[in-house]
Amino acid sequence: MNGEMEQDWLDKKLQEAAPYIEDDGFTARVLAQLPAPQVRFQFLRPFILVAASAFASALTYVLSDGGRFIIVEMFKITTIPTVWVVAFALASGMLVMAGGIAAAMSKSSQIQS
Amino acid sequence: MELTDVGLVARVLVDDDQHAYGELVRRHQSSVRGLLRQLTRGDVALADDLSQDAFIRAYKNIRSFRGEAKFSTWLYRIAYNCFREDARKRKELVGINEEQWQAEQDPQTVDPGLRHDLMHALSLLPLHERSAVLLCCQNGMSHDEAARVLDIPLGTVKTNVLRGREKLKKTLAAWGS
Repeated sequence: MNGEMEQDWLDKKLQEAAPYIEDDGFTARVLAQLPAPQVRFQFLRPFILVAASAFASALTYVLSDGGRFIIVEMFKITTIPTVWVVAFALASGMLVMAGGIAAAMSKSSQIQS
Repeated sequence: MELTDVGLVARVLVDDDQHAYGELVRRHQSSVRGLLRQLTRGDVALADDLSQDAFIRAYKNIRSFRGEAKFSTWLYRIAYNCFREDARKRKELVGINEEQWQAEQDPQTVDPGLRHDLMHALSLLPLHERSAVLLCCQNGMSHDEAARVLDIPLGTVKTNVLRGREKLKKTLAAWGS
């Protein structure tokens, strides 16, 4: 108990012995020495994304004979037996749930540590 | 509403906002400069140069800050590395090292005007104990945070703090008698 009090006293004295140091132009000196901000063209980012998406869509449409493959695949899906569709939906749901549980367990162990 | 450190870091990362970084410097300059002043045994000019280097280095490497630890812990680590690199250079150039300085300091022959000075007693500790005591006892860091800053195992930090405290108490008691 006495040791703990001594420890607290020492820590308190150490903290008192370290007064606040006034800035006195220190921040300004640091900022003056920072490298100049890089010129970025961030405003172009959405335009590039939209243009790339539009180009990819047009290319796909042309190369796939007007999107015919989608109709073919949709038709194939309609021929799958209902039991298989239900089984697939169930399996997908369980997979997503397992992933969610794993992520939650990992996060909770991180928080605890 | 005042932004948190992480919020300011996000501004620096996304917009390269140097005003936000200025706010971070303003918030932490006192503690970083204070720590380096203690580590350099009161050499104010050197400590301020090292602090500037540390803040500039932190800005350049801010993308490596992942937010796993507090911003201050990450910053202290950079500051401590700046100090160590400088100490290594000085040792190579001038030939003065920690052990030599330590050997020259005898608590019994210290200037009487400084005898009751806690900070002087602190400066008599070896570097590894001094840094651990400064971070944990003076700056209020947890042992775990100090271990991250000093890049040493947690157990070593605990031992260094314990030994440092004991030595401080003994030195102060010897001066008091």
